[in-house]
Amino acid sequence: MEIKAVFNAQELTDLAKKRFQEERSLNHLEGWFLAKEIQRECDERFKDEKDCIRIARTQAEVMKNIPVQIGDYHVFAGTQDDSFARSYALINPEFTVDSFCGYCDPVAVFGDIAPFGDITQERIDELKEYNNHTPYADALRKAYDIAGDATSEAVFFIEQVTGHLIPDVRRLLAVGTKGLKEEIMRNKNACQDERREYFEAMKLSLEALEILADRYASLADEKEKMASGKDKERLRLMKETLKKVPREGANNLFEAIQSFILIWQAMCLEQTPNPFAFSVGNADRIFEPYRAKTNMSREVAAALFKHLLVFFNVADRSWAISQNLIVGGKSNDGEDLTNLCSYALLDAYYDMNLPQPILSVKLHKNTPQELYESLGRFFFTPGCLTPSLFNDDSLFPILKARGVSQEDLEDYSVAGCQEPLIMGKDNGNTTNSWLNLGKILELCINGGISLITGKRLGKTDEENGCKSKLEVLQNIREIFYNNVEEFADRMAASANAASEAVSLLEVPFLSVMMGGAESGIDVRDTKKQGTKYNGSGCLIHGLSVVADSFIAIDTLLRERPEDAQRMVDALNNNFEDDPQMHQYLLSCPKFGNNIEAVDSEAKKIAERVSDIVSSKKNYLGNPFRCDYATPSTHLLYGYWVGATPDGRKSRDMLGYGVDPLYGEAHSGLGFRVLSGMHLPYEKMSGGYASHFGINPNYFKADTFEKKGIEFRDKIIGPLFYNPANNGIQPFYLYVNVTTPDMLRKVLENPKKYAPSGVYIMRIHGTFVNFLDLSPAIQEDIITRLDIESTSF
Amino acid sequence: MTLKIFQKGFNYSQDGRGNRLVYHMQGCNMRCPWCANPEGMKMDGVILTDKEWLRDGLCPKGAVKDGRLDRTECEVCKERACLDPKYRNKGIRLSFEEKPIEEIYEEIISSSPMFYDGGGVTFTGGEATMQFDALKELLIRLKSAGIHTAVETNGSHVRLPELFPYVGQLIMDCKHWNGETHMKYTGVPIDTVLENIRRAALEHGAVDIRIPLIGGVNDSVRDMEEFICLFETMGKAHVTFEILKYHEFGKNKWEECGWRYKMDERAHVTAGQIKQFQKMIVNHGLNYKRS
Repeated sequence: MEIKAVFNAQELTDLAKKRFQEERSLNHLEGWFLAKEIQRECDERFKDEKDCIRIARTQAEVMKNIPVQIGDYHVFAGTQDDSFARSYALINPEFTVDSFCGYCDPVAVFGDIAPFGDITQERIDELKEYNNHTPYADALRKAYDIAGDATSEAVFFIEQVTGHLIPDVRRLLAVGTKGLKEEIMRNKNACQDERREYFEAMKLSLEALEILADRYASLADEKEKMASGKDKERLRLMKETLKKVPREGANNLFEAIQSFILIWQAMCLEQTPNPFAFSVGNADRIFEPYRAKTNMSREVAAALFKHLLVFFNVADRSWAISQNLIVGGKSNDGEDLTNLCSYALLDAYYDMNLPQPILSVKLHKNTPQELYESLGRFFFTPGCLTPSLFNDDSLFPILKARGVSQEDLEDYSVAGCQEPLIMGKDNGNTTNSWLNLGKILELCINGGISLITGKRLGKTDEENGCKSKLEVLQNIREIFYNNVEEFADRMAASANAASEAVSLLEVPFLSVMMGGAESGIDVRDTKKQGTKYNGSGCLIHGLSVVADSFIAIDTLLRERPEDAQRMVDALNNNFEDDPQMHQYLLSCPKFGNNIEAVDSEAKKIAERVSDIVSSKKNYLGNPFRCDYATPSTHLLYGYWVGATPDGRKSRDMLGYGVDPLYGEAHSGLGFRVLSGMHLPYEKMSGGYASHFGINPNYFKADTFEKKGIEFRDKIIGPLFYNPANNGIQPFYLYVNVTTPDMLRKVLENPKKYAPSGVYIMRIHGTFVNFLDLSPAIQEDIITRLDIESTSF
Repeated sequence: MTLKIFQKGFNYSQDGRGNRLVYHMQGCNMRCPWCANPEGMKMDGVILTDKEWLRDGLCPKGAVKDGRLDRTECEVCKERACLDPKYRNKGIRLSFEEKPIEEIYEEIISSSPMFYDGGGVTFTGGEATMQFDALKELLIRLKSAGIHTAVETNGSHVRLPELFPYVGQLIMDCKHWNGETHMKYTGVPIDTVLENIRRAALEHGAVDIRIPLIGGVNDSVRDMEEFICLFETMGKAHVTFEILKYHEFGKNKWEECGWRYKMDERAHVTAGQIKQFQKMIVNHGLNYKRS
C-alpha cells in the first residue's frame, strides 16, 4: 500500500498541522529524565562491560523501556521529545543576560524539570546527585579548573560539544540496519585489534534501533485493531512500513522519511538530554532518489515533508533548537544540484512556517532563477521564516584550503547556525571554545584589572612592558596580540580537556554514520581520529569593537596625545564624568562605512587573531577553526566587557559576528558591503555570522517571484558574486526583511499581527518564534535590525 | 580642487539607473521652502545640532546652554573650535566635509563593485553645479575611467551645457512653468532653467525631467496644463518626465539647522492629483517615468 492510496496531499497537510498543534500543547518534558534513570540502572548492570558495549546495551534498554506513542495525527512514528529538556536559554522566558552562565554545568539540566506524576523531587535530586559524580562530571570540572577565573567574566569560554554534527544517513536509509550490520561485521572480522569491540557496540546500537521500530510497529498493530476507516488504513500503513524500515533499505519517499525519523530519534536519544544542533545535510539530495523511485508529485512530497518538519519541533517552544536542513547547491563539477525535492521542501517550509528546523539554502553563480523565485515568498511574507544563505562559490575554495578533498566538497553542509562541516566525515567540535576580544582589549588597557568586578584577570602594565598609559596605548596592538596568544593557549588547553571529558560518553550509534562503520573508532575519540576530518571550533567575538577601538586610540594619540590618561580614566568610570571624551571617541571613524583605515584594521585583526587561534592544536593535533559567529553571545559577552575606546559603554553588546557595531554603519548597505569585502573570509573556515535587517519597502516588484529575483539582484549578487571583488567573497548571510516599527506592533498586538501565535524571526543561525523569545532577546533583534546600515 | 559634500550614500535607481553612489554637494542658489535637504543650501554650510548629544560644554565659548545652541554666538564666532576635529563630538557638526577631488575619485573607483545594474555615481545637492569647475573636472576623470555618471540639477547654471558630454544621465528639476511664481518660491529667475532644459532635450541623449508637485504652488489643473504645453515643446524619445510628490521628510532637518519649516498641511498633494497629472503626460505622448 502506498500513502497516496490513503491520503491526498491536503489531508496529509491537515494532519501535519494538527500534529504540530498537538505537539505545541505539550508543556512538560520528562522522557530525557526517564532515559537517564535507565542509564543509571545500566551503569550498574553492565559495569563489567567495556564502555562502548555498556553504552550500546544501555541504548537497547532505553529503547525497550521508554514510553512510545502513536497519536491520531501521526503519519510517521517517532519523536524527539525524549531527547530534550526545556533548557535552551534564548527561548526560555526566565532567561536574563546577567544570570546566564553557559551550558557547562553537567547537572544544570536537572533544574529544567519539575515534579510531574510519579517523578518526585526526591527522584530528581537523587538522579542529579548520581550524575554529579560520574567520571564525566569530574572530568568536566577539571576542564573548567584549567580555565580558572577567565571564564567567570567570559575572557574566553569553553564547552563540551554534543550534537553539532551532520551524520550521513544515506547508507543506512539505503541498506537498512540489516545491510549495515553485515558491513560492520565484515569490518570487525577483518580487524584484529581493540576496535573489534567497538564494531560490536555499533552493531548492538543498530539493534537498539530495530527494537524501537518493532515497538512502534506493535503499537500501530494494536491501534489498528481498534480503529476504523481511514485511521485503520493509516495505522496499517504505518505498521507495514515500520516492519520494513529501518531494518531494510527504503524503497519510496514514505519509507525513507519513516526510516530517517527513527534513525534521528535514536541518534538524539543516545545523547539525551539536549544534543543541540544536529543537522540533516542536503535533505533534497538525501530524499530525491526515493521520491524519484515512484515519481511522486511535488505536492504529495511536500505534504509528507510537512510531517518531517513537525518532527523537529519539540513541545511548547520547539526546544530542539538549531537543527538545520539545507537545500540547493552545486556539485564538485559545478553543476547545479537543485531537484524537485528542493522545491517540495521549500513548499513544505512555507506552508507550515514552523519555528524549527532551520532552513538553509546553498547558492552559487548558476543557481537557477526558479530557486530565487521560490525564495521570494519567504523573504517578503511578514512573520515568515527566512533561510540562511550560503555561497558555494566561496565555500568550496575555503574548505579546500582547510584540507577537504575535492570529492567531498559538495557534501559540505551546515551544523548548527552556520558552521560548515562535511556530512558524515567531519567532527568539528564547533562550539568548543569562545574568545572575547573585547574583554582582552579591556584588560590590556586597564593593567589586567576587570572594569566590571575589579578582579585581576590579565597582565599589569609592567608585565606588558609599559611604564605609563600613554605607552600602553602607543603599543596597544602588540600588547593586545600577545595577550590574545596567551589567553588562547589557556582556552585551548581547557577546551581540549572538555573534549576529553565528553569523549568518556561514547556514541556508537552516531559513529556508525560518522565513518565509524569503516574505521571502528568512536567519533568522540580523543586519541584516534574516527572521522576523516577533525578540528575544534573557536567562536571569536568583538571584531568590530576592537577595530573601532584601535582607530579611536590612534586618532586620540594623533590629535590629543595629552589626553591618553584621561581616556583611560573615562573608560574606568564608564564615561560618567567625561561625556565629552565619550562623544569624541564615538565620533572617530567606524568599521562599516567604507573608510579605508578602519576597514583595513578590521581585516588585520581578523587575520592576526585567526592565525593565533588556528595555531592552537586540539586533542588530536588538529587546528582550532576560527568561527566569527556570536549566537546571541555578543550580548552575553558584551555584558562582561567594560567601556571600550570606540565609545561603547560598559556592558553594552559587542558587534554581531563580523558586522559593524549596531548604529555605527550609518552610510547604508552599499558602504557596509564594501567594508565587508575587506575581511579575510578565507581565514574563517569555521564560519562567521552576518545579518542584514532589510526594509521591505526597497523592493518594488509586485509578486513574490519577482521580488525573489529583485532580492538576488540587489542583495545576493553584489554580496556573493561581485565581479569587481577579486578576493574570496562572503559566504554567509541571514536577513530579516522587516522594520523595528513592525516588530513593536507585533509585540503590542500579537493577536492582530500573529494570529497563529507564531511570528518567525531569524536570530543568528536559527529562527525562532519571535513571541517565544525572552524580552532581552526580542529587544536585541529589534535593535540589531539596524535599518540605517542597510538602507539603499 | 575640492568639493564640499554634505551627504553621501547608495541608492537603487532613484537618482539615475541601477545602484548608485550619490553625493549631495553643498550650496544651492535656490531657496525652496519645501527643500528636503536644507542643510545643503548655504555654500558655507550650516551648523547642525543633534538634540540627543547636545550638551553644555561642547562649545568652548559656552554657546550651548541647557541643551540648546545659541546661534547668535555662532554668527560672530571666528574660531569655531567646536568643529575642530580635536574636539569631535556628536552634538554639533558642520553640514559638509570638504575633500580633494582626487580623494573623491578614489572613493568612487573603490566603490565601483557596487555599481551593478548599470549603476554609477550621481551628483546632486544642494545644487551640484554650484561647485562647477571641480565638478566638471571630476566628471571628465570619471568618464575616462568608464564610470557611469548622473547629475541632478535645478538647471539654473549658465554653463550647464558644458557638462553634457561628461554626464551619462541628466536629471533636471522643473519646479514651475511661470517665471513670476518660480522667482517667488525659489528666488531664482526661470529663463536660464527653461533654456537649459530645452537645450538638454535637444543635445543630451538621456534627460529625466522631474516636477516636484507641491500643494498651492504648482498643483492646480492649470499648472498641469501649462507644464504639459511646456513639455510638448521638448518631448523626445530620450526625455522622460517624472512627478515627485511633496513630502516632509526634511522637516526635522530644518530644525537641526536652527530654521523654521514654513510648509504646512496644504502642501500635500493627493494620489488623485498625481494620477491625473500622470495621465495627462501619457496622453500627450510624453514618456512618463517612475523611479
